[in-house]
Amino acid sequence: MNTKTETENKQLQSVASDEVAISMSKVNKWFGNFHVLKDIDLSIYKGERIVICGPSGSGKSTLIRCINRLEEHQDGDISVNGVTLDSNLKNIHAIRSDVGMVFQSFNLFPHLTVLENCTLAPVWVRNMTKTEAQEIAMEYLTRVKIPEQAEKYPGQLSGGQQQRVAIARSLCMNPQIMLFDEPTSALDPEMISEVLDVMIELAETGMTMLVVSHEMGFARRVADRVIFMDYGEIVEQNTPEEFFANPKSDRTKLFLSQILSH
Amino acid sequence: MTEITEQNKVSEKFVPKPSLPPPPNTTGAIGWLRYNLFDGFLSSCLTVLSLIAIGFMCVNFYEWAFAKAVLEAANRQECRITPTEFGTCWAGVKFWFTRFIYGRYTDTEIWRVNFAAIILILWMIPVWLPRVTAKLNIALSGVLIFPFLAGYMFLGGDRNWFMEIMVSVALGCFITVMIHSLLCLFTGAGISRWIIQLTGFSSRSERLHKFPVIMFAVIIFLLSLFLINDVAFKEMPNNLWGGLFLTLVISGIGIASALPAGILLALGRRSKMTVIRVLCVAFIELFRSVPLITILFMATTMFPLFLPEGFHINKLASAIVAVCLFAAAYMAEVVRGGLQAIPKGQYEAAEAVGLTYWQSMGFIVMPQALKYMIPNIVSNFMGLFKDTTLVSIIGLYDLLGMINAVSQDPSWIGLHHEPLFTAAVIFFIGCFAMSKYSQYLERNLGAGHGR
Ligand SMILES: Nc1ncnc2c1ncn2[C@@H]1O[C@H](COP(=O)(O)OP(=O)(O)OP(=O)(O)O)[C@@H](O)[C@H]1O
Ligand SMILES: [Mg+2]
Repeated sequence: MNTKTETENKQLQSVASDEVAISMSKVNKWFGNFHVLKDIDLSIYKGERIVICGPSGSGKSTLIRCINRLEEHQDGDISVNGVTLDSNLKNIHAIRSDVGMVFQSFNLFPHLTVLENCTLAPVWVRNMTKTEAQEIAMEYLTRVKIPEQAEKYPGQLSGGQQQRVAIARSLCMNPQIMLFDEPTSALDPEMISEVLDVMIELAETGMTMLVVSHEMGFARRVADRVIFMDYGEIVEQNTPEEFFANPKSDRTKLFLSQILSH
Repeated sequence: MTEITEQNKVSEKFVPKPSLPPPPNTTGAIGWLRYNLFDGFLSSCLTVLSLIAIGFMCVNFYEWAFAKAVLEAANRQECRITPTEFGTCWAGVKFWFTRFIYGRYTDTEIWRVNFAAIILILWMIPVWLPRVTAKLNIALSGVLIFPFLAGYMFLGGDRNWFMEIMVSVALGCFITVMIHSLLCLFTGAGISRWIIQLTGFSSRSERLHKFPVIMFAVIIFLLSLFLINDVAFKEMPNNLWGGLFLTLVISGIGIASALPAGILLALGRRSKMTVIRVLCVAFIELFRSVPLITILFMATTMFPLFLPEGFHINKLASAIVAVCLFAAAYMAEVVRGGLQAIPKGQYEAAEAVGLTYWQSMGFIVMPQALKYMIPNIVSNFMGLFKDTTLVSIIGLYDLLGMINAVSQDPSWIGLHHEPLFTAAVIFFIGCFAMSKYSQYLERNLGAGHGR
């Protein structure tokens, strides 16, 4: 029993290279007068898996939404795969088609079937033919273990299944980076693990992943680096062992004691 | 602790109670009557009073419409049933009915109007047949391309090169739609699949499949060009158009252009580009705040004052433009309302997978928003259909205009009620059909979503 949990929880081998995938330097953002992101400096390497945590309102979502320009940063530089994010629409589209995103509320397209959800962007953005796109979609739907739901509409699926479809939909674009914004926090407890399992399998393939999550078990097992944010700043970042064992800042300690106590 | 375990051991067996029939007189016809019409003293009184009122009206209507009906008469004077009293002169309606429908269109040319109507019906029927594919293309071609064909059939006369091309394209589209629908119905495969198969392209890469299809389109176009080469219709200037025909032309064009124009205006109003937004807001607010009749008068009387000397602008054309602008402004607000019902997450998900603005609008946002908009869109269409009667005030002979004209005809002078009743019935049929169709659409579009 004991040995089994140990092997299950064994940490994934790090596959991070020294090639930079995302680099942010001195990034600042305001919502009106409210300073959401303050001087964010962050480099993420290819194949690196990062978990971001922090209290509500600390700017975690805003940070990762800046990476694919769902939010616009006002100051500083962000570059993704060497392409600088500015108001150039071409760059934005190039980055968006290389960066997949999974939302807390799934955001599947309710008027399209699961398969159509997965093939729409490959056909129109990647110029695949319909048959090619469908083959790839079925492959990824099989990987997230719901090929039999392909013809259903999102509204007919459970939350966990919807979130797995959302992951498959992003993967169909063959992205190099995946962003996850609290992918499991809208799910019932028994569905969380089916989504986390899919994410762990994805991590094993060497995908660069940026995950906003409070699933500390997941962070321990998958993350190369855990980032703690508060008040729009990166308070602390470290390997998961160090981060959980001896947090440096007292803010981190307080946060960890709060989320680990229940 | 021990108590709990003991309780857990002795679990009772649950047997559901049998269902009993409901108390008597609460279901069935008698139950319905009691509950809905005779539920207490006040309700019974109201029911009886209403029944008396309805009965009274029915009797009166019967007397007017049937008992006093005069079906054969050569003029209004012959419709008297007593020397002093006129009967209900259905003979007048019968005499003028063709004019009510077609206005002053020459009798021998009326078949052209009917023929165009039949083409439109044939063009649109496939949209309702479940086995037919590519419905959206069929519907769009019907809305965008059919008007050129219809326009020529109605107007006749010489064709310039532009009309020559557009009429051929329209005819070609019609032929293609017909072949496609028949193929779908009888073989289950659409026309492009057949073309690809017959030309032997099915074994080639999917990217090459468009070439035989384009070839086919060109051939059909040339064929249509050849077909219409010798066809020339007598010119029927549009001041001869009238009656229900004219009403349908004006409201049809208004309806067909209102939705696309409304969508563009609504998107413009939400645009981040200030100039576009301000222009759209100004347009919408201007046209929504002015009565349609004013716009019609401005279009037909004031606008020509600004035109250079000798430049003549057709009254019907300016009325149609006025109706379209007015309808677009209203539709824009309906569309904006529908867009607001779409959660932000849908826009973000569409952006995040890399779709462009127009792609995400076209594939993600609009299809969902249109579903919410259907009741409002159809209300607007019904309003527009009825509002076109205002063009009778600026001197066009639409259905209402014809009716007014008839009442001033020397031998039928004073014939008002019967034609107006006829017009009311015609408008009711049109609007009721639209309303029923919108309910059907709502049910059908809602079904697929499973939520
Ligand atoms: N569009 C917006 N306009 C104004 N303020 C916003 C907007 N989006 C977020 N904020 C504010 O910015 C702050 C950071 O928001 P963000 O969503 O990034 O937090 P978060 O760390 O993801 O929190 P949570 O854990 O609740 O998701 C919050 O205080 C929020 O109220
Ligand atoms: Mg968040």
